[in-house]
Amino acid sequence: MENLETPVLQVENLAISYEMRKSVVSAVRDVSFEIHRGEALGLVGESGCGKSTVAFGVVNFLDRNGRIDNGSILFQGQELRGQSQKELRLLRGDQISMVYQDPMAALNPSLRIGEQLREVLTVHRGLRKGKASKRSIEMLKQVYMPDPAAMMRRYPHQLSGGQQQRVVIAISLLNNPALLIMDEPTTALDVTVQASVLDLIAELRREFDTGILYISHNLGVIAYVSDKVGVMYTGEIVEQASVEDVFLRPMHPYTQALMRCVPKLGESKESSQLPPIRGRVPSPTNLPPGCIFEPRCDYARASCQQKHPRLRELAPDHSVRCHLAEEIIDTEWQPPEELIPELTRKVRQEGVGEPILQGEHVKTYYKQESRSLASLLGLGKKRYVKAVDDVSFEVAKGNTLGIVGESGCGKSTLAKTIVGLESPISGKLEFLGFDILPPVSKRDGGLVKELQMVFQNPESTLNPSFTVGRQIGRPLRRFTKGSRKEARKEVIRLLTAVRLDASYYTRLPRQLSGGEKQRVALARAVAGNPKLVVCDEPTSSLDVSVQAAILNLLLGLQEEYDITMLFISHDLSVIRFFSDYVAVMYLGKVCEIGPAEAIYSPPYHPYTEALLSAVPIPDPSADQKSIRLSGTVPSALNPPSGCPFHTRCPRKLGGVCEEQAPPRQIAAEGHYIYCHIPLEELSKMEAVVTLVKQGSTEGGS
Amino acid sequence: MLVKDCMTKHPLMVQPTMPILEAQRYMAENNIRHLPVVGKGKRLLGLVSRQTLLIQPAKLDSLNVWEISRFLSNLTIGDVLVKVKDIITIEKDEAIEEAARIMVENNIGCLPVLEESVVVGILTEINLLSKLMEMVGAQEPGLRVTVRMPNVKGEIAKLIGVIGEQGWGIPAFGGTPAPKDPTKWDAVVKIRDVSKEEVVAALEKVEGQKILDLRET
Repeated sequence: MENLETPVLQVENLAISYEMRKSVVSAVRDVSFEIHRGEALGLVGESGCGKSTVAFGVVNFLDRNGRIDNGSILFQGQELRGQSQKELRLLRGDQISMVYQDPMAALNPSLRIGEQLREVLTVHRGLRKGKASKRSIEMLKQVYMPDPAAMMRRYPHQLSGGQQQRVVIAISLLNNPALLIMDEPTTALDVTVQASVLDLIAELRREFDTGILYISHNLGVIAYVSDKVGVMYTGEIVEQASVEDVFLRPMHPYTQALMRCVPKLGESKESSQLPPIRGRVPSPTNLPPGCIFEPRCDYARASCQQKHPRLRELAPDHSVRCHLAEEIIDTEWQPPEELIPELTRKVRQEGVGEPILQGEHVKTYYKQESRSLASLLGLGKKRYVKAVDDVSFEVAKGNTLGIVGESGCGKSTLAKTIVGLESPISGKLEFLGFDILPPVSKRDGGLVKELQMVFQNPESTLNPSFTVGRQIGRPLRRFTKGSRKEARKEVIRLLTAVRLDASYYTRLPRQLSGGEKQRVALARAVAGNPKLVVCDEPTSSLDVSVQAAILNLLLGLQEEYDITMLFISHDLSVIRFFSDYVAVMYLGKVCEIGPAEAIYSPPYHPYTEALLSAVPIPDPSADQKSIRLSGTVPSALNPPSGCPFHTRCPRKLGGVCEEQAPPRQIAAEGHYIYCHIPLEELSKMEAVVTLVKQGSTEGGS
Repeated sequence: MLVKDCMTKHPLMVQPTMPILEAQRYMAENNIRHLPVVGKGKRLLGLVSRQTLLIQPAKLDSLNVWEISRFLSNLTIGDVLVKVKDIITIEKDEAIEEAARIMVENNIGCLPVLEESVVVGILTEINLLSKLMEMVGAQEPGLRVTVRMPNVKGEIAKLIGVIGEQGWGIPAFGGTPAPKDPTKWDAVVKIRDVSKEEVVAALEKVEGQKILDLRET
């Protein structure tokens, strides 16, 4: 149906540029879109593609060096460009609201929540304090804050991340805005919290009829929230259509490639491939003259280099910026030749090898300093944060154990304990038959060589003042006896193994992109030819296309060097793709452990079930159960008695969960569930996620 | 069904400082007839309709073309709006029939919807008509039956009972007193997935009621 109503926001041919020291960088070019009442438009794209610049441009919040070069921004039919700051401020306060990524940065840490909520009403509407308080409490109720009246008296730091974001959303809705701009509002939150915030956004949109501009890099989140989607690439919208069209019938090669390089929930490394997008995003100062995606496109022809494509409407309400979109058939895509060796993998030998790493009842506690006088004198009761509490596992040679859980569940502490950066207080930890309880400084050099680690943030783990070659060569110098020349040769071989070339040898970390840095970190980890590599969220700070490349690289290295891996991630799709075995952790304890495919199908531990139902799936046709956990992860300083999950468990049985630690139940060989609910009942659960097979959704166009 | 479920939320609004020439263009471009004028915090200051923008010649000092254009270019919405004390408004939690009554009795086409003097929406004839459309199920496919029945207690129950026995779904139901006959009542029922013959056969069994009109939609 044609919508004749005036859109809440209509952006036409928007172009925004930043003035840099040397040149003018055009960050956004020719962006047009419309948002109607109660409609959500998702802008998705990799980092640096101009998503946030668009959002800032709309309300003229650009940095001092940014300026709008061209185009019009009509809000409720009125031009925003060229309006004075005063008029804009009035609009922003009354009709446009914004929610940003980090709720803690949006809230004033020194004012109580109530004060900050009331302020909106007393300043903009001139309400009396008492009335403003009443309205604020009502609004907190609408965003499902527990005990809103008490919340009003709290400070932001006394709330959890999800609650803080709810407060920010409540503040932004107090004025009943016509347009809400949300820039990655759930990126800093855990999956379970993210899921409930997304539910809240969807509900409030219906209730308030607010138009939403939703910005995210996460395809799954965009699929869940939006009605329409714009895919951005280096400052341009390359594809724009309804959410179903973009996700089920993508037409632009970039959109198609983006969909392919995200692991779908339930896909494993045996059953699927993860083709990365080759090359990298061109720098905005040096854009190719023709199609910007041409250098990375699998379908590119000579003509693509010359003419810049327009955004064409190929199907009703489905626009694509590609010369060849009609000829491209997504389902017939084949990986280009140079990618094939990277994507073909040997089938993993069946049969479980010797366990190479074994942990039994490992406990790592952090001592909590208390400031009371008694404890100063050594008389106080000692308190511990039980970061890893009684965890048992084993990893067989050549396998990958994935560890997954919300933040604060002890994943990283477990990794650090194994590597020897933290000392466990009790338990048994054996690697290759050697005891590895002592910290790394007391371990034998040979043992250290066999056990390496890749960290989440390559930025902070590479020494900024050493060259890449020197950093990769360091483990070689320490662990092997070879001449300098040999070491250099070996480093260059490692660089090629991680798909970098010899020219990187003399570069410094600041000259590399995030993905390249992570490759260097990988090369450094495998340099000493270790038996076990612990990867702590190695891809979570990277874009999806880079993530795909790094995951493939890890798989390749694992095969080549026969490395056993411990892979930690909060992303359940990545874990499923990468791991043979998965351990689900909650509050320092393992609640389910077993072969990956068993974890992702019933019987589930109730916590695994909730986690799976919270994963945003980049497929609007997927059928996913909605199980939302209430409350937050309890403090590890004072964990609940009995089963640690009982405070939030939707399937709690009763007293037994509060009093007794859950027994270990054997669901299948090697698949253990720690829960009081009898196995027969757990087996009766339905699968959380049912993906509609590609074939059945086709042909609906 | 309350006003807030039926109104247009986030209506187009203007500031009193807007020149009327621009307001004229704004209303024409966006195809609207009523324009709430708001101040800070979306507080209602007044209302502009197309009529208010018609200038009475008496207000002009002279009919000199130059004088007129100078007069017009200096005129802002604040100068011509209908003041808030003269506007009839409604709260968002009122019932829509109450809103309809106010509009009919005062012969007006629009009501700004307020919540503590802040504009939260606007209710026009179009909003009410589209609600009427939904109430009689105009968008739903099915059979539309008009039945005339005595205006006494229990007649509707009889009709619904018969339809219920057949296991038919009713996507919409409405009714009015029969025109010029206070002893009779006309009910309009929408029935889904049935044929005309079935409906006639079933409804003929109801005593004292008569099918006035039967059509497919």
